[in-house]
Amino acid sequence: MTGAMREAVVLPAAFLTVLLLGSVRMAQSTVLAPPSVFALVLGLLLVRVVVQSGALAPERLMAASRSAMANLNGAIVLFALWLAAAQVVAVLIPESGLPRIVFAVFLLILLINTAAAAPDRIRLLRSLAVTFGALFLLKFVVLRELSATGTSGLKRVLQALLEGITLGALLQPPSHPTTSYLALLSLVLFLVAVFLLPARSIERSGALIRRHTTSGLERHD
Amino acid sequence: MLAERNDTAIRVAGLVFTVLYAALIAWLFTRQPQTVAQITGGLASTIGAYSIDDRSFGDGLRFFRNDQFVEARMAFARADPAVRDARTQFYIAYSYYRQGWGRLYHDDALYAEGATAIDRAIALAPSGRLVVDDENLLMHTGEELKAELEAGRRREASDFNPMRVFRERK
Repeated sequence: MTGAMREAVVLPAAFLTVLLLGSVRMAQSTVLAPPSVFALVLGLLLVRVVVQSGALAPERLMAASRSAMANLNGAIVLFALWLAAAQVVAVLIPESGLPRIVFAVFLLILLINTAAAAPDRIRLLRSLAVTFGALFLLKFVVLRELSATGTSGLKRVLQALLEGITLGALLQPPSHPTTSYLALLSLVLFLVAVFLLPARSIERSGALIRRHTTSGLERHD
Repeated sequence: MLAERNDTAIRVAGLVFTVLYAALIAWLFTRQPQTVAQITGGLASTIGAYSIDDRSFGDGLRFFRNDQFVEARMAFARADPAVRDARTQFYIAYSYYRQGWGRLYHDDALYAEGATAIDRAIALAPSGRLVVDDENLLMHTGEELKAELEAGRRREASDFNPMRVFRERK
């Protein structure tokens, strides 16, 4: 795949697809929900972490040495990355109640913590995969199962008890299983697209070399 | 030189594709279509290529005039699967009005559905002006039908006027 093809077609298409797939909320009716303002802010933080880790080298997307068209393509990739990052965050945050607040605060703290830890590209990708996977399981398996209408009498009783104890703050509105599949697809596609971003090479980054040095990797050189 | 020209061509093509794709997503966010038919019909209507199924519309009209309102709505929905035709939506709203109309009371649920449908019809009409020339109807504009549907859902002192039993369905 040529650099131009990746920058102009593959990456924008992938990020916009993440934006689209992540917006689908299927229940009794289908809603296409754009990311909220808070998700856009968290998306900015996520982009910052991606740049900081070297998973994205912005100078390889926009620079004075590049042509105007190439810079335009680069700007679109950056903008699409931001929207996709915000949508991924929005996908992982529950729809309502206490879990929505808890997940949002958790993601905010996690992103700030990741920025402070300054991981390298590989560690960041691993960390994002684990975090996204865990939050996906919590939202689309645990919370969804807790909120699903009970089929047996015992489950309905337990559900009523849970709803009573938590004053209805825990249970989520019912959703169609397709929403979960689309959410998973958008998360995986986002990680693949982040992996495909033009990364900062170790040789070109003094900061990364220093980080490798401090973590003891220099003895292999 | 050739490689550079190829590069530029790819970049321009990618830019056009991205702009079109982003416009499609923005359109989807704005319109919130519920079915594939609504997506394809909506896109077709944006370039003026959408038309309703006249045969199904004729069926709907026949049912409507026979006071078979549920059947009429099914036929109208078949005629306008993308929900893009103002006239069809007007008839759907009218069918809710006629079905919900009663001498002693009106069916609020049906009137509410009718109000939603007439709002949709008015939104679809050019400049919001919706006029339907049909001699069998007593209301010909979106505004008249909307006002009637809203009045039917209000609780007023005139609701208790015994003379209301002499009122006619429009």
